[in-house]
Amino acid sequence: MFKNHLKIAFRSLWRNRAFSAINMFGLILGFTVFIFIAEYVAYEWNANRFHQNFNQLSRLSFLYKTGESNYYLPPGLGPTLKSNVPGIKQVVRIGENVGSGVLSINTGASKNVFREERVSFVDGQFLKVFTFPVLQGNGLLNEPQTMALSKTTAIKYFGNVNAVGKVIQVNNQFGNTDYTVTSVYQDMPQNSDIQADVLLSYKTLESAALRNGNDWADPTGLGSEYSYLYILTNENANLSQISAQATNLWHKLKPDSKNDHVGLQPFQNLHIAPGFSYQFQTYGSLLLLIAFLSVAMLIIVIAWVNYINLSTAQALNRAREVGVRKVLGASRGQLTLQYLTETFVLTTISLGVAMLMVLMLQAAYNSFLEKQLSLAVLNAGWFWLGGATLIISGTLLAGGYVSWVLSSFNPLKTIRSKAFLKVGGLSLRRGLVVFQFVTSIIFIIATIVLYEQLQYMQNQDLGMKVEQRLAVTGPSIINSSQRDNSIAFENEVRQLPFVKQLSASNNIPGQGYNFSTAGITKSNANPGDDKKSYAMLIVDDQFFKTYDINIKYGTGFTLPMLAHGWTKTKKVVLNEAAVRQLGYNDNNAIIGQKIKWNNDFEIVGVVKDYHHLGLHEQIKPMIFLPAVADGFFTLKMETANMSTKMEQIRSLYQKNFPGEPFSYSFLDEVYDKQYKTEYQLGKIFIAAAFTAVLIACMGLLGLAMFAARRRIKEIGIRKILGANVFSLVNLISADFLKLVVVALVVASPIAWYIMHRWLEGFAYRITMQWWMFASAGLMALFIAFATVSIQAIKAAVSNPVKSLRSE
Amino acid sequence: MIKITNLEKFYRTEEVETVALNKLNIEINRGEFVAIMGPSGCGKSTLLNILGLLDDPDGGSYLFNDIEVAQFNERKRADLRKHNIGFVFQSFNLIDELTVFENVELPLIYTGVSATERKERVEEVLSKMQIMHRRNHYPQQLSGGQQQRVAIARAVVNKPKLILADEPTGNLDSSNGNEVMELLTDLNEQGTTIIMVTHSEHDARYSHRIIRLLDGHTVVENIMM
Repeated sequence: MFKNHLKIAFRSLWRNRAFSAINMFGLILGFTVFIFIAEYVAYEWNANRFHQNFNQLSRLSFLYKTGESNYYLPPGLGPTLKSNVPGIKQVVRIGENVGSGVLSINTGASKNVFREERVSFVDGQFLKVFTFPVLQGNGLLNEPQTMALSKTTAIKYFGNVNAVGKVIQVNNQFGNTDYTVTSVYQDMPQNSDIQADVLLSYKTLESAALRNGNDWADPTGLGSEYSYLYILTNENANLSQISAQATNLWHKLKPDSKNDHVGLQPFQNLHIAPGFSYQFQTYGSLLLLIAFLSVAMLIIVIAWVNYINLSTAQALNRAREVGVRKVLGASRGQLTLQYLTETFVLTTISLGVAMLMVLMLQAAYNSFLEKQLSLAVLNAGWFWLGGATLIISGTLLAGGYVSWVLSSFNPLKTIRSKAFLKVGGLSLRRGLVVFQFVTSIIFIIATIVLYEQLQYMQNQDLGMKVEQRLAVTGPSIINSSQRDNSIAFENEVRQLPFVKQLSASNNIPGQGYNFSTAGITKSNANPGDDKKSYAMLIVDDQFFKTYDINIKYGTGFTLPMLAHGWTKTKKVVLNEAAVRQLGYNDNNAIIGQKIKWNNDFEIVGVVKDYHHLGLHEQIKPMIFLPAVADGFFTLKMETANMSTKMEQIRSLYQKNFPGEPFSYSFLDEVYDKQYKTEYQLGKIFIAAAFTAVLIACMGLLGLAMFAARRRIKEIGIRKILGANVFSLVNLISADFLKLVVVALVVASPIAWYIMHRWLEGFAYRITMQWWMFASAGLMALFIAFATVSIQAIKAAVSNPVKSLRSE
Repeated sequence: MIKITNLEKFYRTEEVETVALNKLNIEINRGEFVAIMGPSGCGKSTLLNILGLLDDPDGGSYLFNDIEVAQFNERKRADLRKHNIGFVFQSFNLIDELTVFENVELPLIYTGVSATERKERVEEVLSKMQIMHRRNHYPQQLSGGQQQRVAIARAVVNKPKLILADEPTGNLDSSNGNEVMELLTDLNEQGTTIIMVTHSEHDARYSHRIIRLLDGHTVVENIMM
């Protein structure tokens, strides 16, 4: 019996192949988009979950009374915690990227140098606590001057030779230190929040000599907060109790920190936060993933709705067949099973094609997301099972409904004439079309709002200029002549005719600050002022000019101020936000005032607020410190004929910093990179909106076909009585356009609410305008009209005699 | 075999109630060949639908093989129908997606006959109808006469006791029409009861008895000799 059903299913699908193709196209599109989004969601969901200790890992953070919080902690807290708080099995500290610099290997004849950014200081048990499988060596970093390399890095340095035991010289802010490789570990997966290519033992920094004067980095110190603290707790440990005990301990260690609270962030909440307001998640909110998943589900539901619409519309053609089968003795159950088989065949083929599409488009999708996704990511967790359940149950529901409608035909009516036939559930199908368009319109509105916000962020006056600014990364190898080399390089570059400005700073806009610190107040401070934090940036005298940052009061820095460095000069420039936070009046009288930061620092200037980082964040209170900086050289220059100019800059760089790799970036690109998430989101939404509209239109097409056929006699009579094509097209289209209007009315408030919530995530944002909704509605109306009118015109121009006779 | 007493059927719209069958009384015996005639709208088709258990009467009694079926529900009617009654339609009503063989096989599938037995019986009836050579063709590849032969084959494959034919020659030319009538006559001679609705006096002459309907009741019965 089933074989028979299957055979008939294939045959009738083939016979109605145009129709089957439209129907399958909708399903294929829906499935493909669904699988892609599911991959993305599965990928983010599974981030960090490869750690065997996943459920027992937490990250520590400080929560301040002010509501501010901080996940950079003083490294000195780590070992004390382990010995004093029960329930903590291990503490692992990570000084992320603190060791970045140049690594060189003596191969006897020559010296191989590589610039490495992702060089972190970690505790000895790092590779034991986290699951990054050790390929060579013992996986321990307990001794000073030991290191571990990722597989890729090891191969880059030593080829396929065992790297364990090799010595590498690391040139970074801590001077030039030799490290011995103890281990090689498997490359960290892309969806790990902890990332490092090179691990250096934290123990090394306990020696003052190996810190090269950077005493802030002392691993036993409690002063500077620059380290991540991860803890491995006992199974079933009470996290809130540990948090309370850690807080007590911290208060004992630092009596002036009575208002701070030590918080624990379990790994479950590290990558994906339970809510939008949850701090420190490394990816985003769970709500975002839920939103993505909802988009995926909606699209697949739209595809099924489409299936229902098209199939029930087509039912008209099959009514006679149903009638005959019933007269011949088919029971309703048998008929239902037969049409379910058809749905099953159609769905299976569509799913298969969708899988092929996914395989074919995977590379493009990955390069667009810059993530390594594949069908394999669905393997983890419940994604396969969930997806399969969803698809099976959806098929049963959609197919079941269609079968039910088909098998409910009264055979008496269907075998005699189509004229009497009414396919039930017209209002249901209208409802389904409204649903499809509600979803489509929400997607369209979301896309418009998203792009408006992106436009806004890109076109917003940043208070500075990033176009035509080239940032060259400064040298890392520290030696006694470094300062002179930097000055020489600067002077030589300034001689190049195409360079208009040059500034040296230790960090750049779009990238970050140098450090953040509290404890800065005006001379007569209010209590609590010392808890407010400031972003510090070390710059030279040309920085403001090079970036076109406006000076509001006073002056910028001068060359003599640089010469002695900020620790000796004791001069600062503030931004307006810092002026406000310090509690000064916003006027010229501020120049010459002294702020307290252990010592007195004189305010020599105030600059207008500018967006140092993206528009996600409020402008932070910033304090600029003068120095001969060499972290980055920013060149303001004409960007025509870039390659020849770049060669000139490169040769000057290599002349002054021999052995240093030359690397650079364009500031506008650095800055744009911050909006990557929004760009990706935007593209995903465009794709979703496009898919939804496309599928919804097919549903509409089905309904229009159905309506045109149902009313063919009416159209014929009207035509004979003198109706023209235009009025007939109107007659049929108007019904559907009404549905779209209803959909717009339903969709607008939903879209408004969702996008309102989304915009709240931006410190600087657009307000939604009526035209965004109107244009989404117009777009939907236009597309719907185009779809329907084709059918309407076809019906309207047909020969009325023919249509009447056929009844 | 069939005995209807005071059978009534009404069609209601919002304003009008039309009487389709008005206290109709008919008795048909096993092995008879009966033609039902009458002008359009006289209730022929309604009667045929009720006799074929496709529709239920609004009043009166219908004994089928001495069983009262007037009050049967859809399920019971369908069950009785598929084992006892074959249908032949004016417009053939073959399923376009199925081959000749599969069309004829369909009633056997629905009554749960095994595959091997189905094959035997379908081939037997196709041979009898002289359409065996067309077994793998689809309906639209056949002439009208051939299609109606397939439809008759399908109607008889289950060996029904009763065949209901609704203007079986209505869509055929006279030579194909005669052929179909011969077939029906043969079937009748082999013992199948046949009730046929027709407009054609010529076709009606093949029957034993003509029941003429007017406005939902019998006006005259002619016995053919």
